[in-house]
Amino acid sequence: MPFGYNGKILHVNLTDSTWEIEEPNENWYRTYVGGSSLAAYYLLKYLKPGVDPLSDENVLVFACSVVTGAPLSGFSRYTVAAKSPLTGALGRTEAGGYFGPELKFSGFDAVVVRGRAPKPVYLYIKDGQVEIRDAAALWGQDNWVTLEKIIEETGEKRVRVASIGPAGEGMVPYACVQNDLEHFNGRTGMGAVMGSKNLKAIAARGLQKPQMADPEKIKEIRNWHNDRIKVHPPNMGLSKFGTTVLVKALNDTGILTTHNFKEGVFPGADKLSHEAYHNTIFDSASTCYACSVRCKRRVSLEDEKYPLDKRFGGPEYETLAGLGSLCDIDNLPAVARGNQLCNLLGLDTISTGAVIAFAFECFEHGILTEEDTNGYPLKWGDADAMIWLIQEIAHRRGIGEILSKGVKKAAEIIGKGAERYAFHIKGQELPLHDGRGKTGMGMGFALSPTGAEHVETPHDVAFQGEGVSKLHSVGIFDPVKPMETNAEKVRFFVNGQKVWQINNCYGICNFCSVPIHAMTFQMLVESIRAITGWDTSLHDMMKVSERGTVMARVFNNREGLTPKDDRVIRRWHEPMPNGPIKGAFIDPVEFQNAINLYYEMSGWDKAGKPTRGKLLELNLEALIDEG
Amino acid sequence: MKVKVKLFATLQKKGFQGGDLELSCGATVQSLLDRLNIGVADVGILVVNARDATFDQILKEADVVTIIPPIGGG
Repeated sequence: MPFGYNGKILHVNLTDSTWEIEEPNENWYRTYVGGSSLAAYYLLKYLKPGVDPLSDENVLVFACSVVTGAPLSGFSRYTVAAKSPLTGALGRTEAGGYFGPELKFSGFDAVVVRGRAPKPVYLYIKDGQVEIRDAAALWGQDNWVTLEKIIEETGEKRVRVASIGPAGEGMVPYACVQNDLEHFNGRTGMGAVMGSKNLKAIAARGLQKPQMADPEKIKEIRNWHNDRIKVHPPNMGLSKFGTTVLVKALNDTGILTTHNFKEGVFPGADKLSHEAYHNTIFDSASTCYACSVRCKRRVSLEDEKYPLDKRFGGPEYETLAGLGSLCDIDNLPAVARGNQLCNLLGLDTISTGAVIAFAFECFEHGILTEEDTNGYPLKWGDADAMIWLIQEIAHRRGIGEILSKGVKKAAEIIGKGAERYAFHIKGQELPLHDGRGKTGMGMGFALSPTGAEHVETPHDVAFQGEGVSKLHSVGIFDPVKPMETNAEKVRFFVNGQKVWQINNCYGICNFCSVPIHAMTFQMLVESIRAITGWDTSLHDMMKVSERGTVMARVFNNREGLTPKDDRVIRRWHEPMPNGPIKGAFIDPVEFQNAINLYYEMSGWDKAGKPTRGKLLELNLEALIDEG
Repeated sequence: MKVKVKLFATLQKKGFQGGDLELSCGATVQSLLDRLNIGVADVGILVVNARDATFDQILKEADVVTIIPPIGGG
């Protein structure tokens, strides 16, 4: 019998309202494990290249891993994946919270959704039983009402719900999926794919916790891990302030994304800082399943203009910078209100912030005018314009209809040189980090199969000087220099990527795990062994991770992406105009050399295609002629 | 006793660029941070002699303390 997982994958066909259960063998689970790699397996298997991401031919996967739901801090994450309507490439996005473990306890390790329901439905999974339920009463409702109604309909107070809001129903290509109002599969428009399938939500409830191979060992690891979280400095900061400390830290370093990725210092940063946050709108800390870090924030404010309700969580760093500094907005309650609206309506706050900053810059240059905005001037720093645009975008009204397409397509529609201010990679808007101050992270933005993404590899800055000791276990000994783009940087990137993609495949939170936070490499391996009973190793886990990366690459290659798509934005090749790293830029030739070297180190050819030998090494022989 | 302190990025701006520091015997990492006016929110990575360290760790002669601010991902 399997330990740690169910051994069951649920396949649902919404077109004819049928479902069936697949029971892969242990070797299959050891090969694909979960999360992003398990999802990539099904996308490669069932998706024909070239299909419209919003058609019934797209395939949507909710994937836990073999260890999701184990009672260890950070083992709560799951992946939602499909072909992305934002990029036309692999769509993939992870979230924590309680939904992943609950899905696991309901009897399934993953759910693969195909087809399109003739009318709105939601999926209800309870203790191995599956129902496709009518969602007519939920369609058009925000995520809060949806959650309340599903709790009422099912009579299960502890049901966990992954749902979409009006933005997902309207197929805004950066609509998110969210669970329990404060956890988000934010990126690549997976909410739009749910909307295209008339799938309002998946609700899970279960008491079938998979048996662990060595429960005593897991208890021992849990106690060790939670004790260490209390005294491990990176986790102490997260417990106390969440990710909000990054606003000031990045601003002081000169890499706080400001004014649509042009600048790295924001004059209003103090007003968005962790100090301002915790002195004004902070209500309480929150957490994910079994996690003692408690990095999540909840905010509340009684205010006529910007009321905040703690049920919707609170903005994390990416949102503070996305709806804040990127748009030159220093009004913290307004940024938090914008976050709450995005959560209610189901929009990714990263892409939404980037789209609004793009609109502000287009307006500044006369590319958009009041004629386009129904008389509303879009001015830098105008918090009310930001709040207004969020609603227009979510409901695809007026200028919101164009902006709802994302910056790449919106710029094509607007014309007049708007593409000069449309910052994206592979069609996805950028997370709130500046590659001019950390070029390894910049490589991650360029090489992530999902388009611009900040969780492809650990950020360079942590491994300066003796900080590199945190990567000794994977053979990196030279201190990492954030501003350099050379062979040492590529070597760091290749190994760092494999480490962080372990977390994405096994569904483990970067804020609890290797290489920076409280879990060590040795204890991570011990955890997987104790949960599954497998005789596994760090080598084995890094192969799983690499397999996931290679499968994603093959998926994108067969969709027609090329090395030209592995790039960064124009502004990162221009000198930083101000602040501590004034004058810094990414040299395009050096950067291209680094990308080419990454292909070489990875066993990919010059066209960015994994070689036959690499595919055979990774047990991916079925993909040899795929791309 | 003398320890070597290595500071990165913005932490160098707090009046001390890094280098050798004289501390009393039995000093902890926390007392060093207090002296340098570095709070928990300023610490992303804390390593002593290329090993993970804690705030209550007692320092000894010739220890090398590396402190890097939290300027990674989130």
